[in-house]
Amino acid sequence: MNRKYPKKARTLQQSQDLWGRLFVLPAVLFFSIFNFYPILNALWTSLFNRRILSFAKPDFIGLQNYIFLLQSGSFWNSVRATLVFTAGTFLSLLALSLLVAGLLSRISRGSRFLQTAYYTPAVLSSVVAATIWLLIFDPRGIANQFINTLMNTPGVDHRWFSHPVRVQIATMVVYFWKYIGYFVIVVLAGMASIPKTIYEAATIDGANGWQQYWRITFPLLKPTVVLVSIMSMLQCLKTFSTQYLFTQSGAPLAPINVITLNIYNTGIRDHRIGRASAMSIILLIIMMVFTYIQFKTSKTDEVSY
Amino acid sequence: MKTMQHLTHLPWKELPRRYGAGALGLLIMGSLLVITVLPLIFMVTASIMPSGEIMRMPYPWIPSELAFRNYYRALAGHDESFIFVRNIMNSLIVSSSVTVTTVILGALTGYSLAKFQYKGRIVIFMMIMATMMIPFETIMIPLYMVATKLGMQNSYAGLILPFMLNAFGVFMMRQYYSTFPGEFLDAARVDGMGEIAIFGKIILPNTGPAIATLAILAFRSQWDTLLWPLLIAQSHEMKTIPVYIVQFAAERTADYGAMMAVATIASVPMFVLFITLSRYFTGGAAVFSARKG
Repeated sequence: MNRKYPKKARTLQQSQDLWGRLFVLPAVLFFSIFNFYPILNALWTSLFNRRILSFAKPDFIGLQNYIFLLQSGSFWNSVRATLVFTAGTFLSLLALSLLVAGLLSRISRGSRFLQTAYYTPAVLSSVVAATIWLLIFDPRGIANQFINTLMNTPGVDHRWFSHPVRVQIATMVVYFWKYIGYFVIVVLAGMASIPKTIYEAATIDGANGWQQYWRITFPLLKPTVVLVSIMSMLQCLKTFSTQYLFTQSGAPLAPINVITLNIYNTGIRDHRIGRASAMSIILLIIMMVFTYIQFKTSKTDEVSY
Repeated sequence: MKTMQHLTHLPWKELPRRYGAGALGLLIMGSLLVITVLPLIFMVTASIMPSGEIMRMPYPWIPSELAFRNYYRALAGHDESFIFVRNIMNSLIVSSSVTVTTVILGALTGYSLAKFQYKGRIVIFMMIMATMMIPFETIMIPLYMVATKLGMQNSYAGLILPFMLNAFGVFMMRQYYSTFPGEFLDAARVDGMGEIAIFGKIILPNTGPAIATLAILAFRSQWDTLLWPLLIAQSHEMKTIPVYIVQFAAERTADYGAMMAVATIASVPMFVLFITLSRYFTGGAAVFSARKG
């Protein structure tokens, strides 16, 4: 750039900078007040024995809250419930979205319709989704009827809510049902970005459909897979609505007492905000670790076409 | 009619080849279709079915009579107060406000971060992106205490303020504006157009698709939010739809018809949006996968 009037240009640049800063200011204020301040506050509060309704000055107890949690069976149960839920939901979502997207990309008609149909549950809110499945998993509901017809066991109640393992499966089903269509579409978008010429070359070399899927689509899809994995894992770690609605409607708490539900009950119901804050910081650390691992594994071998 | 005949005369062995997927593939896709769609049909049919029929085995699917009383009980609630109508209004007000602020602030911030050269903009962008990792559950208790101190319980301000903007909105808008030709802006500046006018008259009107995608995303996620309203809206008047549903399900577990009527009512705005603007619903996915470019 060779400006004719360097002095004037500089003031123009300065006024530009000023406008840019002015435009970003609302966002800086917003994120400071509603994200950075609360996270620092949570970190600070987690070092105190603090209760919401207490007028007594909160005691500084250092890492006691963390030590308590790490020795508490209820907290480890929540970690277990969260990880089981995340693993179960994430693996089934990943496996099925890869499989179904692979199939959809091959069919010559009806793909658009199926995508829309699969996606429709995602339109509903989480609470509505959980309410529908609450009735489906009722002892007299469709889930029992369906399983009984399939396995030829008439009249058996599979206890979707009272059985400690099946109530966990029930929460996973709700999540899977709501998000499968979304993940199918994300994976399909990833597949569409793989150049057609690779497939043409493979066809000429005599590779069949499955070989093409496993040897071309699957490896080249890695960026999409990593993306889907991060998204679904981070979503699953934060699950709350389904578990909350189920326990409110009579399901046992222990098997599905995920970390978020535990934070809510400890902080809001029992007013132990110091301990709840410590728990929320641990949740944050878990999520950061997951994100870090995901990015690390995705960086090791980038795909280029 | 002709196509139907055409289908029935089709030998089943031919079908897989015709559609380019194996029989097993068709079975998998078909099963997933049944699993995704049947619960929706269940919701709608049960909402107009007499409550006694819903738990009949096997489930009848077609109601023997149309029980629109379900909808009356859903709207009226157990104390006939029609508080649900107010709660629907609350959800509409809160979700619309959040949508408007997210779009405007997201566009303003994204524009600033993409098209200006001031020092510190990259740090600001990184800091904003970092907030994506913070789960709401981690900051909800400090936020709750702040909101209580400011007297924001049971107010629209309390429901709306913490969600006015989010990192993803900034990210999306910045991506969008980074490909926006800077020559237009320079030309406008040469013509003596003010910076605010440039944003309002050139930038915003040329952000159509991105705005639509972000707006849908913001509206949906707000419509879905349960945790924060659960904390901040303690009075019945200020509750939003998800909070009402949880409470309704817990209080009247036996009234299945009304429960599904509540669920259907809560879903109507989303279905209307989905049918009219479906391409923007999946737009978020496209944004994500386009990042590789």
